[in-house]
Amino acid sequence: MYRYTEHDRTFLEARVEEFRDQLARYRAGAIGEDEFKQLRLRNGLYVQRHAPMLRVAIPYGMLSSGQLRTLASVARKYDRGYGHVTTRQNMQFNWPALDDVPDILAELATVDMHAIQTSGNCIRNTTSDPLAGATGDEIEDPRPWCELIRQWSTLHPEFNWLPRKFKIAVTGAESDRAAVQVHDIGLRLVRDTGGALGFEVFVGGGLGRTPFIGKTLREFLPAADLLTYLAAILRVYNLEGRRDNLYKARIKILVNAMGIDAFRERVEADWNVSRDFDDTFDTATIDALRAAFPPAPPLAGGAGGGVGGAPGLAADGRIVPERTLSDPLFNQWYRANTRDHKDPARRIVYVSLKAPGRPAGDITALQMDAVADLAERHSLGEVRTTHEQNLVLAHVPVDELFELWRALRPLGLATPNIGHLSDMIVCPGLDFCSLANAGTLAIYDQIYTRFDDLDYLHELGDVSIKISGCMNACGHHHVGDIGVLGVEKNGEEWYQLTIGGHAGDAAALGRRLGKAIPKQDVATAIGHLLDAYVANREPGESFHDAVDRLGVEPFKETVYATAA
Amino acid sequence: MPLLRNGRADADDPWVRLDDDAPLPSTATGRPAGLPESSPPAPVLLGLARFLAEAAGGTVATGVLLAPDDDPLVLAPYLGRLQLVAVDFPVYTDGRGYSHARLLRERLGYGGEVRAIGDVRVDQLAFMVRAGFDTFDLVDEIDAATLHAALSRYRTSYQPSYALAIAG
Repeated sequence: MYRYTEHDRTFLEARVEEFRDQLARYRAGAIGEDEFKQLRLRNGLYVQRHAPMLRVAIPYGMLSSGQLRTLASVARKYDRGYGHVTTRQNMQFNWPALDDVPDILAELATVDMHAIQTSGNCIRNTTSDPLAGATGDEIEDPRPWCELIRQWSTLHPEFNWLPRKFKIAVTGAESDRAAVQVHDIGLRLVRDTGGALGFEVFVGGGLGRTPFIGKTLREFLPAADLLTYLAAILRVYNLEGRRDNLYKARIKILVNAMGIDAFRERVEADWNVSRDFDDTFDTATIDALRAAFPPAPPLAGGAGGGVGGAPGLAADGRIVPERTLSDPLFNQWYRANTRDHKDPARRIVYVSLKAPGRPAGDITALQMDAVADLAERHSLGEVRTTHEQNLVLAHVPVDELFELWRALRPLGLATPNIGHLSDMIVCPGLDFCSLANAGTLAIYDQIYTRFDDLDYLHELGDVSIKISGCMNACGHHHVGDIGVLGVEKNGEEWYQLTIGGHAGDAAALGRRLGKAIPKQDVATAIGHLLDAYVANREPGESFHDAVDRLGVEPFKETVYATAA
Repeated sequence: MPLLRNGRADADDPWVRLDDDAPLPSTATGRPAGLPESSPPAPVLLGLARFLAEAAGGTVATGVLLAPDDDPLVLAPYLGRLQLVAVDFPVYTDGRGYSHARLLRERLGYGGEVRAIGDVRVDQLAFMVRAGFDTFDLVDEIDAATLHAALSRYRTSYQPSYALAIAG
């Protein structure tokens, strides 16, 4: 993991003291409400329905055990004993007192953490693949590049007052788990025919009120040009993006209005000159960052003889823990919540934050401390947060899986549902957010309760449900196999369903099913959609592929015919 | 608040903003060529459209005012003549002026004064200095300690090509 240098710490201490001073001047009346809002937003502080909400950055989702323990401490000392993992891999606290925030930021700074630019119209936390460095399908580890972007974008003097927020995602794997095509800039590490490293650059993706899939700006950008090229894109956006209408200010609107070709010309025209004066980096810099993310040490000779018993060999040559044969509950978890590691003697383990009766993505201080300990014991002392609002322990030796599972279960962190229907993405909704129309957490509970048959869910396979409480789309409903959007009609909550959305490779936006349905019918309608899928799917066909092939009609019929 | 220059108040600011329909004073184009350095200039700031129109007529002013919509690159032919480019921030959240300053300094290589005017606030100063501004028309009276802190707090940055604000 990247460790802060003296330079990083000096900078961060200045930032914390600056905010302490700004808060004091606000309290003394020297800074007005509107101005203070802009200053606090750039330190991650919203004022929400109940209290300020503090969004702490987790750069590209990477946490050390020590950092996670500090988040637990913040949750205990300044909040109500829990935090919430967001779809952009950050952690939110919903109950801090405004006057405590400088102390919270100072405490976070002791473990190299901050809340800089987690809100406001500036460059936000760079997100990435939660399986980076552990998965076998990787062209190159994206995290050194994310860290490079984190540093470059932090308090950038030219790009801190953009027309609107700006989100960058990077993936280094063949399979995109970072949803790069629904970001303002999406970067995909690639190699050209000569083997040189570079990026495929997407621009103008995004969800919200006007969803767009990102367009290809450049098929191959040499890696060495990354920062100057980003600066050229940001400069064109800063100068040309709309500032007259909040809802038309994202770069996706600009790219769509100009057309991708005209936008590209404008960027290249700036870049042809600005690449000679804008900030860049040298080989030594990126090599030092690469060295900060070493591969997991190979487990020589394979795992053997742990608590889980001697591992056996699966038919495909992978090592599987012996208990999978004798303990069906462990086997169920193993199949649902673990994935192949590039080292066959390790597994990637998902820690599900979608347990029954808990809001999706919430984690208590007790759970944070426990996961921090388990990460130290079993996964090289690191934890990742995921876009789907779960955690990952990326490097667990196969022969420690059973012990880890036994520790996670009583903590409520071993629900075997990763990628399944109950692994929903849910925005905080009406219960916490001042923008929401709908109580998304209640809908989550309604769906969760109805589909509690694990065998059915396993048989169903990977079907994603994504729930947003308003058209700002924080729950990413546009890219769910089934998207659920809360709308308000005559003071009542209604829900608009979309189907066939997809965030990864060949990303696609969901299609509207039909008119909105009443709150109490949401889970029933989803039941009908699933029945239609099961009845019509071809072997191995995913939900969004089935919608692609069949169109909306067969799904629509089952929902509205029954409702009528 | 008087103009801020090099971290200190500068009460002696000779520049006058000329309305677009006001007649150009005979000396408005600055110190005429051939006169000694000691002769007083009559420095006026013209809006970009007016500046370009006058320039097309053969009279190049020494000061120009850029609005957020303006393109600073059109000033390229006049750089040798310009002494002040004022960049307007109608509201401090409109960040286009930062790119204007950057383009003036780095793309055009302009070495004269770049002044931030309009809704200029003390918490923006560090960003503005780094983007290339050197004088500031602050909206509010700011006490010396706050001003000093704003200009000296950051001793390090992540963007070395944008110089740091350092005062004292």
